[in-house]
Amino acid sequence: MTDAINLLVGLALGANLLALGSSRLPSIIRAAAIQGIVLGVIPLLLKPEFHWLVALVSIGTIAIKGFVIPALLLRALRAANIAREEHPLLGFIPSLLIGASATVGAVILAGHLPLLPEHRGLLLVPGALATLVSGLVLLVGRTKAISQVCGYLILENGIYLFGLLLIRGTPLIVEAGILLDLTVAIFVIGIIVDRIQREFDSLDTGKLTSLHE
Amino acid sequence: MNPGFTNHFLLPLLRGVLQIAILLLLAPLLPGIVNRVKAWVAGRRGPPLLQLYYDLGRLWNKGIVLSTAASPGHLVGPAIAWVAILGSAMLLPLGPGDALWSFKGDALLFLYLLALARFCTASAALETGSAFEGMGAAREVSFAVLSESALITAILALAVQTGSLSLTGMLAPVPNPSAGLLAAGLFTVLLAENCRVPFDDPNTHLELTMIHEVMVLDHSGPPLAVILHGAALKLLVFALLLAQAVLPLNHLSLLPATGCLLAAMLVITLLVGFAESLLARFAFRRVPLLLTTAFLFCLFALLTAWKGVS
Amino acid sequence: MSPGCLLSLALAAMVAGTCCAPRWTRLWLGCTVAATLLTLGAAISVLAGGPWEWHGAFPIGGELPHLRADGLSAFFLVLLSVIGLAGTVYSSEYWSPKKHPGSAYPGRVWWNLLLLFMGLVLLCSNGLHFLIGWELFTLCAYFLITRERHLPAVRRAGWLYLAASHASALCLFAFFAAIAARTGSWDLGPLRDHLELAPLFWLALIGFGLKAGLFPLHIWLPSAHANAPTHVSALLSGVAIKMGIYGLMRFSGWIPTPADAGWVVATLGVASAVLGVAFALGQHDLKRLLAYHSVENIGIILIGLGFAMMASRAGQPGWGRLAMAGALLHVWNHGLFKALLFLGAGSVLHATGTRRMSELGGLWRAMPWTAASFALGAVAISGLPPLNGFVSEWLVYLGLFGAVDGLGPGSAAAVPAAILLAVTGAMALACFVKVVGVVFLGTPRTLRAEKAVECGWFMRSPMLLLGGACILIGLAPALFWPALQSAIAAWEPGWAMDVAPAPLLSLGIWNVGFALAAALAATLLLRRVRRNGIARAGTWDCGFAAPTARMQYTAGSFAGIITEWFAWILQPSRHADKITHPFPSRAAFREHTPETVLEKVVEPSAGMVMALSSAMRRLQHGRLQFYILYLVFGLIALALLAFWGGAP
Repeated sequence: MTDAINLLVGLALGANLLALGSSRLPSIIRAAAIQGIVLGVIPLLLKPEFHWLVALVSIGTIAIKGFVIPALLLRALRAANIAREEHPLLGFIPSLLIGASATVGAVILAGHLPLLPEHRGLLLVPGALATLVSGLVLLVGRTKAISQVCGYLILENGIYLFGLLLIRGTPLIVEAGILLDLTVAIFVIGIIVDRIQREFDSLDTGKLTSLHE
Repeated sequence: MNPGFTNHFLLPLLRGVLQIAILLLLAPLLPGIVNRVKAWVAGRRGPPLLQLYYDLGRLWNKGIVLSTAASPGHLVGPAIAWVAILGSAMLLPLGPGDALWSFKGDALLFLYLLALARFCTASAALETGSAFEGMGAAREVSFAVLSESALITAILALAVQTGSLSLTGMLAPVPNPSAGLLAAGLFTVLLAENCRVPFDDPNTHLELTMIHEVMVLDHSGPPLAVILHGAALKLLVFALLLAQAVLPLNHLSLLPATGCLLAAMLVITLLVGFAESLLARFAFRRVPLLLTTAFLFCLFALLTAWKGVS
Repeated sequence: MSPGCLLSLALAAMVAGTCCAPRWTRLWLGCTVAATLLTLGAAISVLAGGPWEWHGAFPIGGELPHLRADGLSAFFLVLLSVIGLAGTVYSSEYWSPKKHPGSAYPGRVWWNLLLLFMGLVLLCSNGLHFLIGWELFTLCAYFLITRERHLPAVRRAGWLYLAASHASALCLFAFFAAIAARTGSWDLGPLRDHLELAPLFWLALIGFGLKAGLFPLHIWLPSAHANAPTHVSALLSGVAIKMGIYGLMRFSGWIPTPADAGWVVATLGVASAVLGVAFALGQHDLKRLLAYHSVENIGIILIGLGFAMMASRAGQPGWGRLAMAGALLHVWNHGLFKALLFLGAGSVLHATGTRRMSELGGLWRAMPWTAASFALGAVAISGLPPLNGFVSEWLVYLGLFGAVDGLGPGSAAAVPAAILLAVTGAMALACFVKVVGVVFLGTPRTLRAEKAVECGWFMRSPMLLLGGACILIGLAPALFWPALQSAIAAWEPGWAMDVAPAPLLSLGIWNVGFALAAALAATLLLRRVRRNGIARAGTWDCGFAAPTARMQYTAGSFAGIITEWFAWILQPSRHADKITHPFPSRAAFREHTPETVLEKVVEPSAGMVMALSSAMRRLQHGRLQFYILYLVFGLIALALLAFWGGAP
């Protein structure tokens, strides 16, 4: 079971790097979607016995993160009719290298953390840390609003991975609440994206600086 | 005859000569297979499988045209590069057979012999004073920085996995999860180092977009034959490295191991051919990104191997 | 003869040479060469026979002289004498009185004194005398660097060198004084049991690191090495910066080191190696480029030293010994090939009068000896087999791999170090393909390069000597193991191992076989080509009919891809005329890579200190009444302090 979970976390880490290294917006969205699906499966494996609430959250996560939000973003991309090539503040290779070193660093760091014995063999903690950093790099280093949304999504995935550690302790209802928040946030961002696009004919957040006093 | 002499001297010598002969003779077959695959995908008949052998024979008997700007190094460079590539091939084990020369740390010698070959071909290219060849040489040495970092990471991963510092010990992996990552990384490096699509296009000859082919524009006759044979040998070397880094051949006995190795070589060559037929060459600014990805594959293979050991 | 006897003879010959220098050229040359050879003999006898010590009876500066030659100092003494020998012979033609009437004779005096004082520093075992020797050799080097002081660039370089050297001397003063204060004597020796001395290592690291030119303390190095006369650059790059390495090795062996010293040294080493070569790629001045490669190679040496220190702390001699052997051998190797390259660059400068690579090209035709030896040095410095650079880098790698494999304390640091060492090697290769290609191959770019002539035998023979040494170490590395062994034993007594490690022997045999095979293949190919017939024609160049020499790839364009990756630190300033019309008439492109640490960090902060100081100067205006007022304020402040914060 541990191996399967580690494989899934590994895939999620791969999706991080995919998002960091790809220059086209659709591939970033797809990377975030793949990550969402992969992470959605993990709760099912984490608990040996079947529980209907876990299954519900799992299905909800996969549906929303893997399909609904990416579809929304792709639609926004089509509707806004923006250039699909990203012109980043931070180059692709530096962001890739930062992401990779964050992953390596997280694995090394996790070896020194006082974790519960049942979490020792799992990659959940390093995976969470690396995903958080990748999301932050995307948020900071990209200019297009859509890719920042993806960064936000990936950041949330990192938090979600951390949350899985506490799956025994926290009621899953909390996770469901986060999911709801996320969906609402994405809707709001979608509306803002639309407004920015109408106002500036571009989704480049750099243009927003012209709004300052 | 003294049996000790036979066992300790004559037999290894014979085996060595045989091994070198196999390497030298087999190498030009690989580009032939790649070209056949490309022709098959494109629906053409394509050149014969042994085309490179004919070409080499023809070139070996030709006279040369030497640029007035070039020094004797223009002719010596390819010879040294060829010896360096052959030397790196001699450090690799051949499936069931050990390497011809093996000692602790020869993996680094392997890496640096390939670098020596690069030094020679790149300087020989600069001999002519042509801007085209300067461009090719600049690209070759620059992209090599990235592919070399990927290669050393792969070697580190193998060293951690097997606890050995010689290629013979390293290329005897146990089946493990990092093999897939390593295979992906090494295959990308293979494509880059052998100037294959998507890094370079061995078919274009007069484009500004190429690396290796542009460096040999002014070579002709026997030196060109040596360069072409060296390139084929290098493809063989990388294919051997890739196959033996991933497949645990040392657990098999002689015949199955040989069979597996040959099959693996064929599969790798076919993959190169398909990659060449189905992919487009990347824009140059994307090449470093792809090579960085290869490096990361090797890095994560290293990390996995490390996690596996500790 | 005993080392002491040889050394005193060498001293006599050196003093005689110094006295002859202002007048008699032949005598000077003979004496100085004899002195270097005698020193070499003494060093070899120490390496083979064991340490030598001498206590003087008469105090100098209040301290009794104490000379000691153990394996480590003899190891560096060998380098000093070989490079000194090559430089002396070379300078007799290169900086001849005929070409430099005003400066050749005094230059020889300073040269001899520089050699003498460097030897003294290597032998001194008394802190005070070490400092005196250090200061004197620094000053001699200053006078040699500023031989052409009518040029503003040279004056500036000399000034920067002097400032950096004195910052270094300041740290060393503090270092030695603190040791003397703790131990109660200026006499030096193994002090490993004085654990309280450990933090002093940081002072030594800054002091010796400034001299060695490790990143980011290298700011003085490129300009000083580029502007000195070339034989001086060779000595500075080959030996003088190694005095910093000597200091680090000496005192990391003699005094205890802090727990994380090895990590810090190795990290600085990695930074120096990668950034040194990145800066070298951005240079267009031949000698400046070589100077940056010194930073790179110092980095490689420090990687080896840093890991050896970690191994020493962890008590793992197996790989630590290899790392240390690599660092030590690289000291020799870098001295040899860097001196060779500088002498080659000097010949180019001598023949063409320019160091700018964009004005050179095609020199192999006019200067085949120089071109061949420079190419040899380029292969060696790129760390390629079968030459010496590979052997030492390989030993460092073995140390790193040992650290990774042992999963010891260095394992986390060894992985990035090994990867970045490979990156450094590949970039050094790119840089030297660029240098050899742009300077010696292709066609001459200017009239100067076309009119060049080969240098004479006095300049050629040192290059051949150094090249021969590079080949010898490459082909028979095991031959030099006893010397390495002796130096390692002086550094860490427990690590002695008399027989050369088996892989080193295998590598030597491989290198010989490989060199023979390469020579054979080249001969066969050349014969085949001759038999088939050679037709000479212009470069085909894809059929372009009217190529000019200016169309060749330049140094900047060759390195462009890699320098672009490092633009964040290189900060190159570029100026290009925009091409607007379909048939542009004139266009120009200029590129300059600044010394980023100096121009973007040190100079602005120095400027801030200056501004602050001049603001403070307003307080000092010469009016007595205000000074009295200051005193009153000061007293009140002290009184308030005593009142509130006062003693219990």
